[in-house]
Amino acid sequence: MINCNNLILGYDKAITPAFNLAINDNQWIGIIGKNGAGKSTFLKTMLGNLAVISGSIKILGQAPGKINQLISYIPQEREINLADRMSGISLILSSAVGWRFGLPWYSHKLRRRVAELIELVGAGDYAHQPFNTLSGGQKKRIYLAQALVNQPRLLLLDEPLADLDPHAKQHFIAALQKIHQHQKLGLLIISHDMHEIACHLDAFIHFSSTGVHFCETIECVKEDSYVGV
Amino acid sequence: MWAYSFMQNALLAGLMVAVVCGVVSVFVILRRTGFAAHALGHMSLTGAAGAALLGFPSLLGQLLLNSLAAVVMGLLGDKVKKNDLAVGVVLTFVLGLGAYFLFLFQNNYAGSVMSILFGNIFAVSNSQLWGLLILGISVLALLMIISRPLIFASIDPVVAASRNVPLRLLSVIFFLILAVTVSMACQVVGVLLVFVLLIIPGAIGMQWGESIYGIVALSVMSAVAAVVVALYVSYQFDLPASFCITMLLCAGYFIGLIKNYVVKS
Repeated sequence: MINCNNLILGYDKAITPAFNLAINDNQWIGIIGKNGAGKSTFLKTMLGNLAVISGSIKILGQAPGKINQLISYIPQEREINLADRMSGISLILSSAVGWRFGLPWYSHKLRRRVAELIELVGAGDYAHQPFNTLSGGQKKRIYLAQALVNQPRLLLLDEPLADLDPHAKQHFIAALQKIHQHQKLGLLIISHDMHEIACHLDAFIHFSSTGVHFCETIECVKEDSYVGV
Repeated sequence: MWAYSFMQNALLAGLMVAVVCGVVSVFVILRRTGFAAHALGHMSLTGAAGAALLGFPSLLGQLLLNSLAAVVMGLLGDKVKKNDLAVGVVLTFVLGLGAYFLFLFQNNYAGSVMSILFGNIFAVSNSQLWGLLILGISVLALLMIISRPLIFASIDPVVAASRNVPLRLLSVIFFLILAVTVSMACQVVGVLLVFVLLIIPGAIGMQWGESIYGIVALSVMSAVAAVVVALYVSYQFDLPASFCITMLLCAGYFIGLIKNYVVKS
């Protein structure tokens, strides 16, 4: 699914050493590392928003930015400009093939799919309520449903558990678990609470000052006291 | 009263401007480009003054200058949040030019300044009507073509960018649409009150509507209703039409505010 060869990430100057990675189809991967180690940069590079410093990266066999229609990204910070009475469903519908020109057409088939996704992430009770009145945890589950509406092959989540209380975290992780059971897609998740979600993941990528390592279990990254496992 | 040709022209011009403004105003609010709408209205004054200097129709001058300003603003501020700075820079430059144009032609031009500032819907000619029709159809057709990515990019710009939605191109096209709409609306309510048709209909739509189509429909209906009733009141009571449009739309907005307050309490 993702292949990196001698890849060096960074904005204008390198922030990671050169590394190689091979991630298989439909694997669920946790990304761990200190702030500024290059975790978010990795996701942005995959989307083609940032150029690589050197080396190469292929996602589903393509260069970054070429197949973004198959990748869903949930950023750490975002700006949502919904009108006061618009609901989470409006947000999800607006993203359905949102890159295609023409008038938006919300067919019965699409609405049924959105209803299924809302059920899948456990947002049925509030998906019809005005989005701006929802709590942070509720909004994040709507974002999950939104990320799935275009049937992506790869999901990129940047710190989705940040700012959530323990209860909301549990709900979010339960939603991820259900997605893992019902959908065939790869997932890369950055989190500072990896210990809470580790049991649902297949492997980990550890960004540290000495290099970027791929580990089958979270145990292998324990040497970094920061990880907190 | 509708038998008079000037009233028929006023009604047709008002309806065309109301429909276009009703649709565009929803995007003005979603994209938080109220300042740009306001600024383009002010820049229209420079466009009209420049056209008067060169002996062109004022609508042509407004269209050309507003479109140029729109492209610059769109290129400078493609992210919804970044617009204000880009708009402010372009606005001050263009207003400076406007002051100079007015200085150059103060004797010949001063008389028509009032009609540009406040509009004169009862003086719309047949040729202006055709101009408004062509511009209106162009704006709506362009909006239909870009509406899906424009809605996505306006509501959720960061995720839209991650999906390769061309934010900068959409920003430029939307500012051009806004520039043309402002130039049209200036004929009816003038540059000072253009804001009213580009903000309040959309705001009323958002007070009552829950989906994007519902909001657009309500916005258009409120703009059309305000213009038609304002023309009638203006004729019957000899009041300025732009004043009546403004008061009616503000009243509509306050009714929505009261409704929201009652629902909440």
